[in-house]
Amino acid sequence: MGDPGDDALLVLFANGDGQAARDLTGRLGPRAYSVALRVLGNRAEAEDVAQEAMMRLWQMAPDWQPGRAKVSTWLYRVTLNLCLDLKRRRRTEDLDAVPEPQDDSLSAPERLQEAARIDALQAALMQLPERQRQAVILRHIEELSNPEIAGIMDISVEAVESLTARGKRALAKALAGRRTELGYDDG
Amino acid sequence: MAENDTDLDALFAAARQERDFLPEDLAARMLADAQAVQAVRAASETAPEQAKRPGLWSQLGSALGGWRGIGGLATACAAGVWIGLAPPAFLPDPAELLYPQSDTDLFADLSLSDLNAEEG
Repeated sequence: MGDPGDDALLVLFANGDGQAARDLTGRLGPRAYSVALRVLGNRAEAEDVAQEAMMRLWQMAPDWQPGRAKVSTWLYRVTLNLCLDLKRRRRTEDLDAVPEPQDDSLSAPERLQEAARIDALQAALMQLPERQRQAVILRHIEELSNPEIAGIMDISVEAVESLTARGKRALAKALAGRRTELGYDDG
Repeated sequence: MAENDTDLDALFAAARQERDFLPEDLAARMLADAQAVQAVRAASETAPEQAKRPGLWSQLGSALGGWRGIGGLATACAAGVWIGLAPPAFLPDPAELLYPQSDTDLFADLSLSDLNAEEG
């Protein structure tokens, strides 16, 4: 017997099943955190957003209608909206001027090359316009299909393709000058 | 450009390595939220009857026909008290109906000895 789907787990959760809560946290928690982290570029903020997104999942569980949409799609959408809300608040507070990693952002204490590469990618992602960044993250890091991204972002599949193509071009341009630094010119 | 694309794909692959990571304390907070939501729901489901049972005044109000019924009843009571205290001229005095005043003394012709004789 295969594992129950997210739909079934959500129904079990709504009926008070403790194991379902653990399973959903294990499955969907990383999804919300990963997207929030890449979109916001800040671990503390990503944790807050991911926790709030999961809280909304717990609260809507009794009203969930299985089969109408994917739970993960719903969660991605809520997470991205919470990221946008946070950015708007940040802008209002005039704290959004620094796109580079901050104190508790992605910089690892041990600067392994892998971490440096991820940081470089993150810095380049933060330079993209909001919608391009979202589309690129969902397509190339979360590895979602274009139709699913279209559903999450509420745009057409063509618009997703356009956003990801432009986003990739902008990323390549932003990272072009850092090939040696990131260890791609060694060979 | 193909070289850049390859680099970019490698960077995406590196980022995907971290994709399934969830900090332990964050997972614990998510789970605590989930348990709190479940506890609140369980508590609200065990006491729905108590929450739904109407209070004494609510039951009384319903029995009397709601606020319209209570209003009508109050008006009728007030009218009754007023008519009792200050009856219109065309109505007989209720006090007189209950305790009629008469000038005739029913026992005028009887003496105490007559009454005693009847009893004896």
